[in-house]
Amino acid sequence: MHGEDTGLATLETTLMITILVPLLFAVIEFGDVFQRWLAQESATVQVARYAAELGGDSPEIRALLADSLRRSGIDPSRATLDVTPARVGWREPLTVTVRTSATVAIPFLFSSVIPLRTTAIVRGELAR
Amino acid sequence: MTAITAIASLPLLILVLLTTLELGSLRVVAARVRSAADLAVLVAVNDQDDAELARTGRLIAAGDAADVTRALFAANLEPIAATLARSPAGIAGSASVRVDSSPATVHLGAIVPVRTPVFGALFFHPITDVAVMANGGAR
Repeated sequence: MHGEDTGLATLETTLMITILVPLLFAVIEFGDVFQRWLAQESATVQVARYAAELGGDSPEIRALLADSLRRSGIDPSRATLDVTPARVGWREPLTVTVRTSATVAIPFLFSSVIPLRTTAIVRGELAR
Repeated sequence: MTAITAIASLPLLILVLLTTLELGSLRVVAARVRSAADLAVLVAVNDQDDAELARTGRLIAAGDAADVTRALFAANLEPIAATLARSPAGIAGSASVRVDSSPATVHLGAIVPVRTPVFGALFFHPITDVAVMANGGAR
């Protein structure tokens, strides 16, 4: 009888783990994605402001983006930066887009890569 | 018995998870809205009246500062338009924008309705209003 109880407890624990662990990991993994998204959003805005002051795309803004992402725990080598147009005039619109991806892995359910895209639109502030 | 309890409470746990995810998503959208408002005000207040600056040395916001604020606010809301309950142009159009001449400042206040389907299903609150205010001054 005691052995049957032990076996039942093991079975119940296994069932519970297969239910609760994915839920717990879903909260943790999506929380991490949201945190990365917020960090990337902030970095994109800073880069857009800097690009507006410098008049478009430049090594300086790419260095700023890499630094900002690195400090937030995002690998800058896996990020792409688009500055449109690459050279902007005074009061012309400038669009800065940063793309990265985040991996969400939930035990027993799925593992997926979520693309993260953040955009900021400013106006050129450099009088050429 | 424990397993039965866990299985029976599974719908509740999933609802808690969905609510958590929706809250996280709403937090990201709110950050995006704040960034949009900040960028709009910054760009508008940096757009000085050059003639006035050259003539008197005073920083005066350009005549179209209010329009620039609304246009930039709408443009920066566009990437999250799918999550909004109104169009970005409509939100920016109904935003409160005030431009003061001396000192040159731009103030933006807006209510941004965000779609929250999980809150709608659970709490009959399908749209959550995010209030945002941004102020900028020239120096």
